[in-house]
Amino acid sequence: MRYVLARPVQVDLETFARGVRMHPDMVLRLVSLGLIDSEQDSSGALWFAPSQFAQVARIQRLRAGFSLNYAALGLVLDLLDRVSALEAAARSRQGRTGVSTWT
Amino acid sequence: MAARDFYEILGVSRSASQDEIQRAYRKLARKYHPDVNKDPEAEERFKETSEAYDVLSDPDTRKRYDAFGADFRQVPEGVDPQTWRRAREYEGAGARGAGTGFGDSGPGGGFRYTSTSADDIDFDDLLGGIFGGRGRREWGPIPGADQEAELALTVEEAYRGGKRSVTLGGAGGERRFDVNIPAGVVDGQRIRLAGQGGRGSSGANAGDLYLRVRIKLHPRYRVDGRDVSFTLPLTPWEAALGASIPVETPGGQSTIKVPAGTSSGRRLRLRGQGLPNPRGASGDAFAEVQIMVPTKLTKEEKRLFEQLAGTSKFDPRKRR
Repeated sequence: MRYVLARPVQVDLETFARGVRMHPDMVLRLVSLGLIDSEQDSSGALWFAPSQFAQVARIQRLRAGFSLNYAALGLVLDLLDRVSALEAAARSRQGRTGVSTWT
Repeated sequence: MAARDFYEILGVSRSASQDEIQRAYRKLARKYHPDVNKDPEAEERFKETSEAYDVLSDPDTRKRYDAFGADFRQVPEGVDPQTWRRAREYEGAGARGAGTGFGDSGPGGGFRYTSTSADDIDFDDLLGGIFGGRGRREWGPIPGADQEAELALTVEEAYRGGKRSVTLGGAGGERRFDVNIPAGVVDGQRIRLAGQGGRGSSGANAGDLYLRVRIKLHPRYRVDGRDVSFTLPLTPWEAALGASIPVETPGGQSTIKVPAGTSSGRRLRLRGQGLPNPRGASGDAFAEVQIMVPTKLTKEEKRLFEQLAGTSKFDPRKRR
């Protein structure tokens, strides 16, 4: 049986920083604040998934829109994600029962 | 479209203090920020709120806006508001086409008056897009946010799929999309329209628009994932003796075999006759039996039921 190499779609720090038009140090800062996710390979280099481009754009928009500091940004991102998950769960519950409830 | 008044956009009076203006802006920004509110129309509201705040939060720009109205950006520094107003009135009185009268006094003298209205101004150029306004230009171009809108489909539409025309509001006015709905979409699934979401600032990529499918309530069908249930009314004799009953399913006409001795509440499965699944087994349709009796019996029916009551030893309340 032949196996095909499955290359993970990830980009390195330099490419990622260029893509989000940020200095690599700023990207590292976002990583250390836990605002974006990255993976570290055995040599210690950081790799970023494509989804993180959108995450940085979200951080930029929220920071620009509300003048939030980075600690607050983490909280806001988490809360917005939780609200989205809860809204989706509520919608799916409502769809299953076919009844609109107040909760 | 006439430019909306900035005070009206923020919902404050013309005499509002800077604090009131900021408070109103913050409240509206929290409501319409594209990362908080995924409605495509929220983007436009957020943009106009930011524009209004950009102008009214700066006392100098606010003064100019109060004096010159929507055209304040075109009026050079030092122009007397009274002169400006007279110039506007002059144009309004029919000076159009006469070289606009004012403003051709050459360099260094007076001001150039053109009949360009605020509608023609590209605020993106002036303000650098939604997020590039005064005091907020920290980063370069910022990609637009993803947006989400609801796409309500009937059970039949979800079953068949097909083309559907969707009209949505947005930053650039109403937009119409011809969307291909795959057969067998389920409640909560999202259809992605790449690049049709919120606009990016300063030429950055737009976000994506997601159409979230909602299966509308149906008078007969209840949908759970890909399974579809409906009530199957039966006569007592059909339920007792068994019958083949023609039923309507989302896919069309079908026949269900009711086994003899079926009671109310029994669920009869029509395998694979629920919503189709493009990547696997289709859902099932379930007929939920409900035995119905006539409200009024004819003499003959009454006699036969009485005869049955006298003969039958069946007691559904008997403890087993």
